Amino acid sequence: MRKINNITSEKKKLPETKRQFCSFQMAGHSFGVDILDVKEIIDEVVLTKIHHAPPEMLGFVNIRGHVHLVLDLRLLLNFSTKSIDESSRVLLFHPNVGESFGVMVDQIGHMIEVEESLIEYRLSDENISGIARDFRKSELEKGVCKLKDKLLIILDATKFLNAVDLKR
Amino acid sequence: MKQTGIATKIVLLSCGIAVLLMVVGCVLVVQYEIKLLNNMTSVKVDDKEHYYLYQLYQKKNALTNHLTKQVNNLITMIKSVDRVYAQTLEFQIQSLLTHPNVTAVAFCDKNGHSFLAAWKLNKIQLSTKFPKSLQLDHYMVINKQTGIPSIEMIRLYYTIERIKQQLHVQKEQDMNELHETRKNVYKKLNTLFLAQSFGSFLVVALLGAVLIFSLRLLILNPIQNLMQIARQLKKLDLSVDITSSTASHELNALTQALSQLLEGFRKIISDVKENAGMLSDSADTMTGIAEQLTNHSEEAESKANVVAEASVQISANIHTIADRVEQISDNMDSVSSTSDYLFNNINSVANAIEELSSSLSHVGERAQNGTKIAEEAVYLAQKAGKTVNSLRFAADEIGGVSEFIQRIAHKTNILSLNATIEAASAGSAGRGFSVVASAIQEFAEQSSRAAKDITDRIASVQKGTYEIENVFKDVSKIIKEMNESSESISFAVIEQTKAVQEIASNALEADERARNINVSIEELSRTVNDAADNTAQVALGANDVSSRIQGVSESISFNRQISHQINETAIVLNHLSGNLKFMVDPFNVSHQSKSNNNNKE
Repeated sequence: MRKINNITSEKKKLPETKRQFCSFQMAGHSFGVDILDVKEIIDEVVLTKIHHAPPEMLGFVNIRGHVHLVLDLRLLLNFSTKSIDESSRVLLFHPNVGESFGVMVDQIGHMIEVEESLIEYRLSDENISGIARDFRKSELEKGVCKLKDKLLIILDATKFLNAVDLKR
Repeated sequence: MKQTGIATKIVLLSCGIAVLLMVVGCVLVVQYEIKLLNNMTSVKVDDKEHYYLYQLYQKKNALTNHLTKQVNNLITMIKSVDRVYAQTLEFQIQSLLTHPNVTAVAFCDKNGHSFLAAWKLNKIQLSTKFPKSLQLDHYMVINKQTGIPSIEMIRLYYTIERIKQQLHVQKEQDMNELHETRKNVYKKLNTLFLAQSFGSFLVVALLGAVLIFSLRLLILNPIQNLMQIARQLKKLDLSVDITSSTASHELNALTQALSQLLEGFRKIISDVKENAGMLSDSADTMTGIAEQLTNHSEEAESKANVVAEASVQISANIHTIADRVEQISDNMDSVSSTSDYLFNNINSVANAIEELSSSLSHVGERAQNGTKIAEEAVYLAQKAGKTVNSLRFAADEIGGVSEFIQRIAHKTNILSLNATIEAASAGSAGRGFSVVASAIQEFAEQSSRAAKDITDRIASVQKGTYEIENVFKDVSKIIKEMNESSESISFAVIEQTKAVQEIASNALEADERARNINVSIEELSRTVNDAADNTAQVALGANDVSSRIQGVSESISFNRQISHQINETAIVLNHLSGNLKFMVDPFNVSHQSKSNNNNKE
């Protein structure tokens, strides 16, 4: 009870400056997306493949009667593909991010709460030029969050579906 | 002088070597002198030769000068005269020839042909030319230009043969003189050599003689004296008188030591001689006494013997009776003792068998006990095996449970994450719930870690139980083997015990029978012993008489033996003293009073 009281008091002091991220690991690197974009995390995945789709689209998944599209974030971030194992999870996003889709990640991490001052955003003016791939990568990146022991790359979930389109 | 001692030999040898050296020295000196003389004379001869040549040269020059002067005089004289006549010329030429050495003179004209010539051959002859028979080539020549118109040149022939001859004669004389002197010197040297050798020989002979004389006087004479003494000593004659002469000190000391030694010997041996004589005398007397004693004791013995024999006969008769009785008794005794022995043996055998039986039954009990224990051990081991097995099953189950826990933890984690997301989407209203969700996540992680830990532990437990199972299997096998062997032992022991018990019962029966035999034999023995005792008493009485008489006889014979021994020892003593005397006798001790040797030997 006391703990909850403490938290409520903190919340009153710093209402606007804090932000929360959902962190996950991909090929040994740490990434994060805004927690407000995430709808749900699913561990038991039964994928239905789409044969005519590009390789970034892993397939459809049925969650409580709703069908969602699952993308391979590894391929989007230009890593080599990897088979699904025990630690693999699917992040489902809110409908305001894109129409009922999610991404496959290697391992899910903690929910991280950081102050706004620790986040450095990329300036969109600096990366006008470049090839398509570079553009895609840089578009997916929103900024970098400085944690105590490492850097967390913050990805923009709204660009994921567009990245698939761009590649095609 | 017969024996030429070492010293004389040395002296003679050294003298000979000295003479040889001196003679060789003399010869070398004389040779050197002769060589020196030869050198001297050869130098002198050379000198003479040179001197002769020099004289010849001078005289030749003087003659030539003299003749040129005469010719010049003649020329000046002819120049001074206004007119020259033929007679004057002839006179002048003859006057020139008067000189003994001039052989021929010729006056020549412008062409070099002689118009007037004169020569000397036995007497002086004149002509316009020299005859061809006259050979003037090997004479000396003086040609003189006159400067007078009529006489262009005067040619003068002369000889130096005469001068040469004169000088040669002189030289010959000198040489002869020289040779003469040399011969004289040689003669003198020879005599000198003889004198030298003779003198040296004389000196050496003198030296040798002196040496020999001194050596004989100082060393040889004392040594000969010592030799004389030694020869006498060799004959064991100690009566030699050693008076040290006034010879060299070393020999003096030697002779003194020898004389002292002799003195000591002389004293000892004379003492020994005297003592030996006395000893011999006393031994003689002793022998006589011992012989008398022997005779007496022999007589007594013979008398005693007669009595002893009679008594012995009586005693022997009685003894034979006693012996027989005693023999019977002895036989009886031996029978009794053997039966006793037999009984004892059987008894001991029975005892031993009983002991064996008891120990065997003991062993059987132990073996049975072992079997029981082994069975119990097998049972316990099997029980332990079962327990371990159930333990393993339990461990497996725990493994399953821990896996289940882990799965739950994963689920909880996902749930907490989703809760967090929901809380975040709820905005500020969901703050509290997000904290709860994060706490749930933490718990989920902890439980997952604990489940993993348990799984690891359980795996090690499983491994341990597997090993324990194996060990128990081995142990139970070993115990089974033990059980089998102890069972076989106990069977064998039971059988043996039965056999031994049978033997024991037989042995006990034998023991009883042996005791019966023993008792009856002892009775028999006692009665026989009584009879033996009675006869033995009679025999003892007879024996006593006989033994007393025999004791007398034995003591007498002992006396005789002793006297015999005394006699023998006296004879030995006598013999020894004689030997001693014989040994000592050869030593002549004339200086001391001679011991009286009146022994019978």
